Formats: sequence, C-alpha cells, structure tokens
Amino acid sequence: MTQQKKKPKVFEYFRETKDPYAGGLAWCAGCTLELTARFVPKVLGKDIVLVGCPGCSAPVFYGQNLGTWHRMSYFSALMTGVASSATGISRYYRKAGRDVTVVCFTGDGCSADVGFQPLSGAAERNEHIIYITYDNEGYMNTGYQRSSTTPLGASTSTTPAGAASRGKPTSAKNVPLLMAMQGAAYVATATLSHLDDFAKKLAKAREKVKEGFVYIHVFAPCVMGWRIEPDASIEICRMAVRANYFPLWEAENGRFRLTHEVASPRPVAEFLKPVRKFSHLKEAEIVEFQEMVDQRYAVIKKLCAVE
Amino acid sequence: MIAQRGKVRVITGNAAAAYGAMLCRPDVATSYPITPMSEVAEQLSSFRANGLLDTEMVEVEGENSAMNVVAGASMAGGRVFTATSSWGLSFMYDAVQHAAGFRAPIVMVIANRESPGILAVSGGQQDIISVRDTGWIQLIVEEGQEILDTIIMAYRLAEDHDIQLPVMVNYDGFYLSYMATGIEIPEQADVDAFLAPLKRQPPRQVLEPGVALGCGTHGIELGFVELRYRQCVALERAADKLDEIDRNFGEYFGRSYGGQTDEYRMDDAEIVVVASGGAAGTARVVIDAKREEGVKVGLLKLRMFRPFPRRRLAEALKGRKAIGVIDRSVGFGWNCGPMYMELRALTPEIGIVPMLSYIDGLANLDITIPHIARVVDEVNAAAQGKPYQEVTWIPLEQ
Repeated sequence: MTQQKKKPKVFEYFRETKDPYAGGLAWCAGCTLELTARFVPKVLGKDIVLVGCPGCSAPVFYGQNLGTWHRMSYFSALMTGVASSATGISRYYRKAGRDVTVVCFTGDGCSADVGFQPLSGAAERNEHIIYITYDNEGYMNTGYQRSSTTPLGASTSTTPAGAASRGKPTSAKNVPLLMAMQGAAYVATATLSHLDDFAKKLAKAREKVKEGFVYIHVFAPCVMGWRIEPDASIEICRMAVRANYFPLWEAENGRFRLTHEVASPRPVAEFLKPVRKFSHLKEAEIVEFQEMVDQRYAVIKKLCAVE
Repeated sequence: MIAQRGKVRVITGNAAAAYGAMLCRPDVATSYPITPMSEVAEQLSSFRANGLLDTEMVEVEGENSAMNVVAGASMAGGRVFTATSSWGLSFMYDAVQHAAGFRAPIVMVIANRESPGILAVSGGQQDIISVRDTGWIQLIVEEGQEILDTIIMAYRLAEDHDIQLPVMVNYDGFYLSYMATGIEIPEQADVDAFLAPLKRQPPRQVLEPGVALGCGTHGIELGFVELRYRQCVALERAADKLDEIDRNFGEYFGRSYGGQTDEYRMDDAEIVVVASGGAAGTARVVIDAKREEGVKVGLLKLRMFRPFPRRRLAEALKGRKAIGVIDRSVGFGWNCGPMYMELRALTPEIGIVPMLSYIDGLANLDITIPHIARVVDEVNAAAQGKPYQEVTWIPLEQ
C-alpha cells in the first residue's frame, strides 16, 4: 500500500487553479520572474487589474498588436508611471464603488530607480494598491546593467569587473525597508524557495490592501544576468535566505517580524559562489560583503525587537 | 438658448477653470502646484472640502504622476481632470504622449508659461509649442468666460466616441490666470444636460478586472501603423467636431466662440492679423481703431492649434493681400514664430502674399496696443508692395 503524499501547505492559499497564461508560453529557462508571475495570480486571483511597465515581464504582459498571452486585465504604464497609474485606476474604482484589487508588478529598475518617486508618493498617500517588485538586481531585460538594487561588488554590463573596477562600488538600496519606514499598511519580502511564506504574504496582502498601501519585494535571481545555471535559480533563492542575505520578514503597520528566522546562518560566501557576477571577488571583498550582510540583518533584527 | 442664465461672479481665470472642471463632475482629479496654475488645484480642493465636488482628489508628488494618475483613471472608465504649466508639462512629457497613444480622453488645462531653457516664471506660449506633436487636441482661449465654457466643450470633444483623445485647454498664464472678470457660472443641471449626449454613445473600451485588455499594448510593424493611423484620423475628425460642439454650446448657453477659429471684421478685410489667446482681445481694439482710419483689417483668432485647422484657415485667408502672425513663442531652428511657420505651409491654398512673423509677449512682456498697431501698419504697407522684414522680434525693436 502506497502512502498518500501530503499536499504542500501552499495549495491552501490558491484561489485559482486555472492557468491564466497561454499554453506553451515561457520566459528564459530557470527564470524566477516567470514563476513569480505565475504564482501571484494563483493566490491573488485573476480578477485583479495588473499594472506594469517595460522590463522582463512586459513581453508577456503587454501583448503585441491584437495578440495576448494571458487572460488578465493589464495596464501598460511607462517605467515612470506604474504606482501613479495604479493610483488612478484604484481611485476610479473606489469612486465607482467597486472593490477591485489593483496590483503593480515591476522589476527593481522601476521600483528602486526611475519609478521610485511615484512608488514613494503612493506609499505616502497610503493608496489602496499592492506593489510587487521582482528584484533581479539590475536591468536584466536591457542587458544586465546595474540598478540601485544591484549589490556591492556585482559585475554588471555597466559596472563590469576589470583591471580598474571591482564591480558595483556601492550597496543595494533597501526598497522594502524604505517602504516600511514610510508606514505602509503591509510590507513583506519573499522568494521562490519559500512558497508557503510567499503565499501567506500574498494572501495577507489581499486583506491588508483594504487598509492601504502594500509592498512585496520578491528576490528573483536572473539566470542570464547573474550567470547561474538554469536549474540553480531556486537553490540560489534558498541560499540567499539561509545566509541572511535576503531575510524573510514582514512589517504590518510599522511592526516588524521575521517570518522565517534562520537558526544557524550560512556564510554568505556559499551564496556568492555559484553566482558568476560575483566570481571576481577576492577573499577580503567577500569579508566586506559578509559585514554588509550582517549589518543589514542586524538592523532588521533590531526592528523586529521594537515593541 | 435652452439653459438658464447662470450667476455671474467676479473670479480669476484659474478659478474659472476650476468651476468649469467642477461642473463636469470629474471622477478623479489631480494636480501638482506650479505658478501660475496653482490656484486651480487650490480651488478644486476647496470645492471638495466644502462638499461641492464629489471627486477623488489625488495630491501627487509630481506632475509626471499627475498625468499618470489621470491616464490610469481614464482607462479604468473615469472622467478625469488635471492642470499644469510650463515645466510641469515638460516633467509629464512621456506620460502626455503615452496617454494620447492609448486614447485616454483626459481634459487638462494649461496656464501657459515660458519654457524650455532659460528659467522664466512668466507668461508665454512656448509650452504649447513644446507638446504640439504629442497627439493631443490643443485649444487656446482668449478670456475668462471662454476658459470655463471651453472646458465643458472639451469633455464633449475628448469623450466623443469618434474622437477619444485627450484635450489641452490653454490660457495665458499671469494674464488670464490671475485676472478677475465677471464670469457667468452655468447651472449644474444645464451642464449635466449638455454633457448627457456622451452617455448615449457606445461605451468606450475600459479596463475590466478579469477581462483580457492591454492598455498601451506593444504595437509592432503593421499593428502599430494601423493604431497610429487611427489616432491621426481621430485627431483630424476633432476639427469639425469642435465646430459642431461649439454651435451646440451656443444653442444651449447663448455663447459660442467660432470653433476652430474666430473671425473678427474679416468679411471685407484686405489684410489679416492672426493671433491667439489674450493677444486676440487686444487685437480687436486695434482693429476697430484701424478700421476707423480706413484700413481694411480683420482678425483671425486661432482657437485650435492641434489638429491645425488647415481648411478653415485656408478659406479665411485666401485672397487677402497680406498676413501678419503674432506668436508668443519661438520656433527653434526656424527663427520665426511657430504659428507663422505652420501658416506658411498653407501657402499653396492661400496664395503667395506677404506673410510677416512677429514674436512678442515672451516672458511676461505685454503685447500692447501700439505693438499690434505697428503690426497692422507694416502688414498694410507690405500689402501695398512696399518692402518688409519677414521676422520681427517686437520687444527688441520697439
């Protein structure tokens, strides 16, 4: 007699079983953005209005001429106008007395860089929108250039490591922390190796958006830009969490909580090793990187201790 | 006249714009303060605070967001309003083009101000020129009542099923924006009735949760060309549509403005002054005086700049002996007025006659009665075969 395998908890959060995407559709092999894009409507439902912009998600979400590859409502903003367009959409539905979940879905280039002003503005106004960033730490769609979430030392096409360069000289902008500091109703970090945690946060987002602004920051390694193996992307998510490089936390109305505390964190060198954008880093630089990770984690820990 | 007479209030041009917007009941309104437009935002906020206006007001953190907010709200199905000026318009430039591309029927007022380049907190029409190729309908008004009335007409135009394009209503910043005059405020019920025909039109396509619709979809090759062609054709249709709406407005409220252009003492005019905005008002005074002196001069006021009212202008200007065009902006790379430059493109229809370009009123300089009198005199001399200067920067030569 074979034992029935227990269904993973993540399925409990699914509102949708039908795939809103066209059959045969694919991003790059091993793309974590694709998994994020497929996962989000499973939990939030496909009766949402998505707002996005040019980037890796755009070729699928935009559609082309009269063709489309999904069955969702999508507003294609420019990179400067995602949170603001979503504001307008959400405000109109509110005026019309309709309960519609408006979801922004962009890469880090939009949310951390050129679209940061409207994002910050929407958070300050406490707009009723969910903003999801898939953070692949740079402009992966245009050829792996650095963004302000590119980490310290990473070699990108605009911060290439070379005889006179050690990669990006500054640390990443911590957008989820900034959003939490702006007092958003709900802020969370999530990644693809911890789907229960991700699903729970999305389900919570759908409730918390009734109170106001919700921001979810998803760690999403890019196979091409980071130069990792296509079958390694989920493992790299897991390693980022285990090394406290990408801690999983949430902040509800300014109250911080670690949702997955790592009992004995692994050295960050283990996370850096399979990622070839870091392969030029010398031992001393890895030590510096570890210090940066420890310091950032200490801040989150301290925030979680605040009563 | 079908409508009741409205109450007359002494209010500024900015306040007239706010009243015009309020009467059209926008679902979502937004703006970011900038001189000389800020009062529009303040007035709307005050209407809302006092329970006179039921709208979602979004106090955005910049003009780029102002345009994106109204674009999003418009594509979700709402009626929207925003206002800006000069650098604010520059800062929303990407969104301005984007909104026209996906055919969002936005109405935006612009209190015209100098830009770009040298920072000038002063009036001028350079901001109109800087966005002439964005695919928006551009209207220019002369005085306070016309601001209010044109906003109401702008909604009929923007949201018309055959048009579905955004409209800019332009008025002179610092002059009309701050000048208080007696303005008749139409009754709400009458404005509702005037806008009611829009409700009887086929519904426009809007964002609907769970329904596949790409707004601002990526167009490529022939798909792009077809959408662009439709946008251009719709923009062309807006010219005659404005005339129709203007006539209809006249029947309703007893005021009409000529649609695409307004002609003053043009019937037997041998020479013509072309102007727009507040300068047209001053020109009327000069033309009356010159007529007294026996000069057969008329005024052609340009009310619509995009689409460019080619047919109306050609009909009005054909057979005249000379034409003078007053611009409150410059055409970089041509060293003449931009409106002059565009009128010159109508030469095959108008015929080869002297056309003189006058640049005046930049950076808050007044386009005075003597300035326009000079224009009339020089155009008149050119009509009689005397030599003339093609381009004159009036303030530098006065």
